[in-house]
Amino acid sequence: MALRDKDSDAQERRLAAYAPRVYGLLVRMVGNRDTAEDLTQETLLRAFRAFETYRPEGKFQAWLFRIARNAARDWLRRRPLEPALGLDADWPERALASPRRQSRPEDRLLHGERASKVEAALRRLPAPDREVLLLRYYGELAFNDIARVTGEPLGTVLARAHRALKKMADLVPEEES
Amino acid sequence: MTRCPKPEMWVLYSAGELADRPRRALAAHLESCDACRREGRDLARGLEAMESLEREPALRPEMLETLQRRLRVAAANRPTRPRVITLVARYGWAAAAAAVFVAALVLNLPKPTVPAALPGNHQAESLQEVAAAIELLRVADNGTTPLPPQNLFPAGRQNELDLLLELDDAGLLLDYLMSQDKLQG
Repeated sequence: MALRDKDSDAQERRLAAYAPRVYGLLVRMVGNRDTAEDLTQETLLRAFRAFETYRPEGKFQAWLFRIARNAARDWLRRRPLEPALGLDADWPERALASPRRQSRPEDRLLHGERASKVEAALRRLPAPDREVLLLRYYGELAFNDIARVTGEPLGTVLARAHRALKKMADLVPEEES
Repeated sequence: MTRCPKPEMWVLYSAGELADRPRRALAAHLESCDACRREGRDLARGLEAMESLEREPALRPEMLETLQRRLRVAAANRPTRPRVITLVARYGWAAAAAAVFVAALVLNLPKPTVPAALPGNHQAESLQEVAAAIELLRVADNGTTPLPPQNLFPAGRQNELDLLLELDDAGLLLDYLMSQDKLQG
């Protein structure tokens, strides 16, 4: 019994540590912070209940972000018809709030401006291409892991990444050093 | 490398996901190809742009509290899982083989040949797997799975089986089942 309790504690802690990243992925997949919060909870609870199916030889993030991505896609399929992503006007600013990286007001301003441009560029990408970049960034997944998560061939994933990164480079001005 | 590689290769190159040898080959190609240099630069800029996003956005404290509460509730509601189930889940293939073996015993089918000289540890593991499979059958649906047919055991011997199951001694249990199988045969 004690072993099981320790297992649960460790699993809870491990999953909670990923909550911000899972939320980061989801808020950009569904474009709505309340929905993203709900889906973050749903993802982590689903993962907690399914922990037995996770095999240690597989990458933990790939397993977890696959659950998150599926939760978002399920929601996107079920959602009532309404205007598409990005209508939650304040989400970029809120999602980007970080006391750690934005300690000085001028840094916060510069970072916020650039981040807003990146957000806008992301929203202009086709959803499957955007998803590859988001899985790469928030899940820190290698491209072959992303291929496993999305169920697409590696070549397709790389083609999506190539197209998306070129578009990001076109739409986001270079950072001034 | 004289011909330009496929554009997708530059994705792997820019993301640092190439093995040493192809990476060095592409780096050498870059030195002599302006078009690929531009390609690599664009992809690097795209990746750099993503870095502007906060990788771990701040979450509302209320949301985290709710999450932790729900996780605790889920932990409390987790079905109690005997250790043997954990082992069976982990070594499912072995448990499946053991279950077939036990089913053959229970159904009084011709006995499969048991290797005569298993090394000590392997034999002990096999016995544990058999015991685990029996226990799994009983526990999997909260004890509603019936025990082996009564007629397998002589009258008055059911208590012996119960005792052996309680003792959780795989060796004794298997010996008992084998001896009963012989009696029936």
